[in-house]
Amino acid sequence: MKRKITISIIISILALLFAVALGSVYISPMDILRIIGSKLFKSQLPEAFSDTNISIIWNLRLPRTLVAFVVGGMISVSGAVMQSVLKNPLASSYTLGVSAGASLGAGFAILFGFSLPLIGGFSLPVMGFIFGLGTILLGISFAGRLDKGFENNTIILTGMVISLFVNAMVTLMSAIEREHMQRLIYWQMGSFSAQDWKNLFILLPIAAVGILLVFHYNRELDMLTFGEEQAKTMGVNTKLVKWILLIAAAALTGSAISFAGVIGFVDLVAPHVVRKIFGSSHRYVIPMSALLGGVFMVICDLVSRTVIPNQEIPVGAVTALIGAPFFAYIFFSKRE
Amino acid sequence: MLKLTNVTTGYGKLEIVKNISFQVNNNDNLCIIGPNGCGKTTLLKAIAKVLPFQGKVEIDGTSVTSMKHGEVSRKIAIMSQTSSLYFPYSVYDTVMMGRYLHMQGEFFKTPSKADKEIVMKCIEAVALKDVKDKEITKLSGGQLQRVYLARTLAQEPEIILLDEPTNHLDLKFQIELIEYLREWSKEDSHSVIGVLHDINLAMRLSENLMVMKDGKAVAEGKAGDIVTGSLLQKVYDIDVAGYFRGALKRWNGGCE
Repeated sequence: MKRKITISIIISILALLFAVALGSVYISPMDILRIIGSKLFKSQLPEAFSDTNISIIWNLRLPRTLVAFVVGGMISVSGAVMQSVLKNPLASSYTLGVSAGASLGAGFAILFGFSLPLIGGFSLPVMGFIFGLGTILLGISFAGRLDKGFENNTIILTGMVISLFVNAMVTLMSAIEREHMQRLIYWQMGSFSAQDWKNLFILLPIAAVGILLVFHYNRELDMLTFGEEQAKTMGVNTKLVKWILLIAAAALTGSAISFAGVIGFVDLVAPHVVRKIFGSSHRYVIPMSALLGGVFMVICDLVSRTVIPNQEIPVGAVTALIGAPFFAYIFFSKRE
Repeated sequence: MLKLTNVTTGYGKLEIVKNISFQVNNNDNLCIIGPNGCGKTTLLKAIAKVLPFQGKVEIDGTSVTSMKHGEVSRKIAIMSQTSSLYFPYSVYDTVMMGRYLHMQGEFFKTPSKADKEIVMKCIEAVALKDVKDKEITKLSGGQLQRVYLARTLAQEPEIILLDEPTNHLDLKFQIELIEYLREWSKEDSHSVIGVLHDINLAMRLSENLMVMKDGKAVAEGKAGDIVTGSLLQKVYDIDVAGYFRGALKRWNGGCE
């Protein structure tokens, strides 16, 4: 196991380094390390380093890659939690309406120019986060009212119903305000362009707290995969733990997509790959989903900005192109 | 000691189990038999506080209603019927889950040396040492049943509730399981409440029998006193005694 973890960490570091190195201008990994070193330790770089290259690395690619890494990690951990808590290998925050809710919030911000006081420029992500989290809370509390036992099927079905309803509202809004429709659609496909250090420093503490909280419940997550009744008989306070985990997962996804837009399939792909490599125990699934989910997102972002020269395609499309066949593979192999 | 007084339980407004009362003393066992759907499993869930109930369930004089969930799980463990498996945990990790309430740790629960030793002891007790690192999704039904038994034992409860534990087990393991639990129940202040379909195994595990039908106890007492052909016919709507008399004749070389 230690060997697998070490190899994963080395691969991740290399992937991050090459993601920063590649782009319209290639900058070698060694140069990148020297630029990072000079910025961190305030040392002078040789004159051979152009200001443009330093700016590309420090102001554009590095924050963008790190935000993609953090967002990928957050979404993947959230997916792992949803799958285990709901005992459904195909579940995710999206199943429960986070993306639909976040799109509605973003829709308000984009289509009606809605701006929150004090935070101005952050209105779009904050609205996305509030609405995303609000939708899942609504779904969970509705499920709790319908079914006192808080059964998984009730949660999934309620989430889907609310998700469909909210999606219909987004469609209606787009139809009414046609001139802003393109921006909303682009946001719904996800992108890491224009990410900066400020965004990273906002996301980082949320990611750290959320992932640590989830990791705190790694034993409970293991037991919940055997079903609520079995977990209960082994001493887990299932109702409380389920609430905490679902809200933590929703907050992770909600804050991630509020900065990067809706990006699907990473939360499905990463935890499944991790389970195949490291087994099902959540003391490995959670940290390794964060790591490999982050790397997967970084690679998808790299593809999105390099596959067509001088043009960027939405990262959500790249993750879906890889994720959709994978989703089908899981579905059909289960049927067999 | 486990004592039930007028326990009624079910799902939502649907009452499945009605007014069940019994008492099981330390080192005594009780087996519950009855046709499918008569409420045996539902009753076990109420005893373990998985389902809400009316009436009273007491362990050593303390009502489980007043006990926190973890406290109940320290006293009572259920070995359930095999459930669907979605994630391939190893045998060792699955049995370790039974130690959940015993694990220490401020922020992250970690198993102690004693936890690890107990888990290995339980795995050895059910003869699964050779497959301890194998994924449970790759085990046979019988092996999986034994993993669940090991996990139940690892919980170190005072009372084990068995829910049709011999499902998927071949004859050898059925007998071994019952004999193991008989011995286990003689130690400390242990007891076993078992839901079994096989009357012979039930009678081997416990002298005390409760027969259920339609959520009610229709007979209760020493197996030798209450199990009669007419009772079984009444409960199962079939001439059970006549059927087995015929089978016995065939096994002995006679003819019907």
